[in-house]
Amino acid sequence: MNPYLAVAALFLMVGVMLLLPLIPSLVELRGKSDALPLSVVQQNAGEIRHFANSFRGYIKGIEPTLQRCVADGTTATGILANGEEYVALGRADEALLRALEQRDALHPVVITAGVDLAVPSESTLSKEIYAGCLFTGGSKNKYRAILGENNVHLGASSQVTRWVHALGEFTAERGCQLYGRISSDSLIRLGADCVFLRLNAPRIEIGDTTLSQDATSSPLPAIANSAHAQRFFHEGDFEVQAGETIRGNVVIRGNLHIGSGARICGSVKSTKQLVLDDGVSVEGSLISAREMRIGSNCAVHGPVVAERELAIATGSRVGSLEHPTTVSAPWIQAEEGSLVFGTLWAREHGEVVANQ
Amino acid sequence: MIYVLYTIVFVICIYTGRHYWFTLNRLFGFQRHPYIDIDTADWPPVTVLVAAHNEEKVIANILDALMTVKYPEDRMLVIPVNDRSTDRTREIIDKFVQDFPGRIQPFHRVIGKGGKAAALKDAMELVNTEVILIFDADYIPGAGLIKQLVAPFFDLEVGGVMGRVVPLNTGTNLLTRLLDLERSGGYQVDQQARMNLRLVPQHGGTVAGVRLSALREIGGWNDNSLTEDTDLTYRLLLNGWKTVYQNRSECYEEVPEVWPVRIKQIMRWAKGHNQAMMTYGFHLLLQKNRATLRERIDGTLLLGVYAMAPLTLLGWALALGVFYQGVAPLHGVIALLSLTAYAALGNLAAFFEIAAAVRLDGTRKRISLLPFLILGFAVSIFSVSRAAFSQVSDLITGAEFHWDKTERFRKAL
Repeated sequence: MNPYLAVAALFLMVGVMLLLPLIPSLVELRGKSDALPLSVVQQNAGEIRHFANSFRGYIKGIEPTLQRCVADGTTATGILANGEEYVALGRADEALLRALEQRDALHPVVITAGVDLAVPSESTLSKEIYAGCLFTGGSKNKYRAILGENNVHLGASSQVTRWVHALGEFTAERGCQLYGRISSDSLIRLGADCVFLRLNAPRIEIGDTTLSQDATSSPLPAIANSAHAQRFFHEGDFEVQAGETIRGNVVIRGNLHIGSGARICGSVKSTKQLVLDDGVSVEGSLISAREMRIGSNCAVHGPVVAERELAIATGSRVGSLEHPTTVSAPWIQAEEGSLVFGTLWAREHGEVVANQ
Repeated sequence: MIYVLYTIVFVICIYTGRHYWFTLNRLFGFQRHPYIDIDTADWPPVTVLVAAHNEEKVIANILDALMTVKYPEDRMLVIPVNDRSTDRTREIIDKFVQDFPGRIQPFHRVIGKGGKAAALKDAMELVNTEVILIFDADYIPGAGLIKQLVAPFFDLEVGGVMGRVVPLNTGTNLLTRLLDLERSGGYQVDQQARMNLRLVPQHGGTVAGVRLSALREIGGWNDNSLTEDTDLTYRLLLNGWKTVYQNRSECYEEVPEVWPVRIKQIMRWAKGHNQAMMTYGFHLLLQKNRATLRERIDGTLLLGVYAMAPLTLLGWALALGVFYQGVAPLHGVIALLSLTAYAALGNLAAFFEIAAAVRLDGTRKRISLLPFLILGFAVSIFSVSRAAFSQVSDLITGAEFHWDKTERFRKAL
């Protein structure tokens, strides 16, 4: 073989081998099949009512049908804009709901009701429900999502897989499993042994709260202004003595124990375990990079965040009606009798535990 | 010569190991997002500073976006920091001031030292809120971003916050696509891993926030710094303030569309970073300060990322040198150098970091562009090395640094 040709062939071969791995790249560069910017949530901002609001938009078109059904005491069926079948209930007796429930296993439909809705026990309704009036569910029911214009009441051991939004009060009896987002414009009340993830309402009552101090009858101290408060910084474990008052923000790089009846006029941060004994009051936020335990009858004004586990004992309250806030941790145990104003968000698992 | 080469290979291996550690942590470790769930609170007053120097093409977009964010209107003041603009920036800002009375307070700077830090420093006379957010003018914040960036400040240990930057003009050309990949690796993996591991997430100076009392404690903006964000990160760290990264607080930005602009940008970053290394490196690692041990180590490594480019070039030169000198038992070392060098360039995000990031972002086809990253790598290693050499020569000759604004490519509204 001609030596020049051989060298040329060698170069060509090397060139081809170098180009081979670039072929998919060149195809993608030219075809731009995945060249759009990454999707960034620009508008809904992760709002808890997002799904409920979207659903309201979906069913807006069937409002006249529903009103007609209510006026006539009849039911009607049709297709929503997204292609799903719906049933509009102008009356809601048990026989009708039983029939719907039995049909659900084979052919689920979106239920919209313009009258009070009482779902019999042990029902499974696997599509969204719109309740124009009161919604009352029997025990051991399973729902996907509920939008209630009035109060929504779930019977014992019921389960919600996606979301519930009630314009009125939302109550869940003992042992309910509330996955997804639960919100109310007035009140959420959870019975013992309920499991939850994300809750939002002006007032969230865990179990029977009659014994806990009411925020309105015992106003919290003024909002701590962290900008002007002194920052107390300590390396290592620290203890605030019982009954002590600290004016300023506390940052502890270690475990922090706050004795009973102590008052912190500022915010608190601990990089390890944070324990509040009974009757502690904190005017600002409460943050722990590990576990946190809030004793009974404590009052915290600002956000409460624990990076691992959080336990809130009976009689304690976080936030107030005037100043709602957030309680957040991957795992939350809220004892019956505790109160939260705003958001209670367990990223992995939240549960109501009996008063000990 | 041989021992210098050994040292270089050792350092490069440390950086490679660090990148593997970050990637594995991001894929399989516990992910920290402690403040992202704070959606209800007594939101504090906040000042949003928008740094703008000849930004007529983009300033209207960000002001528009800021006027529609979900944050109590009476608690948010936007201050466009118009730094000696000679285009229509002032006119556009003043129109917004008129349209949204009481919500925008312009700061028109006509004289003074150049550079973002100097402009922000002067604008501080208008700021009286504890929480300050900073955006460059080419960013477009989403509705929930302000609350997300403010939320970490409920933690009294937090002095600075950084959100995630997402390129908007990805599809323009090869450069923008490569920068999109690089940003993914840098934020989705590198920054989040440092957040997970309680190391040193870096303040980026945009889509970012700083606590006023922390800023005052550390002496305010340093207008001698070429990269005020890196400078801020380290001064906060030395004084016991944390910078936290919020991976889910995403914001669109415009990335450079032509190579000369990209090269200028990366050279400025490299110079600023090296400046911070010289200023804070020794203090952070060896002197008494409030950083934890892991922060000291990671912070020092982070300071050195742009020094890795000239070091790698030197390593290659030395490897060639010792090879031609006939030093025999070096095959392993040279192989190690070849294997690790590409994975060692800190902020430029190693290829496996980018691959992991693309997977985490849930995108598919763009991963096939990975081989082209060698091009970005080559440009970066020479640009960053050139920046380092010119920095040394500037030191010797006493030449002053000229601050270059990154050119914009969007069409003006």
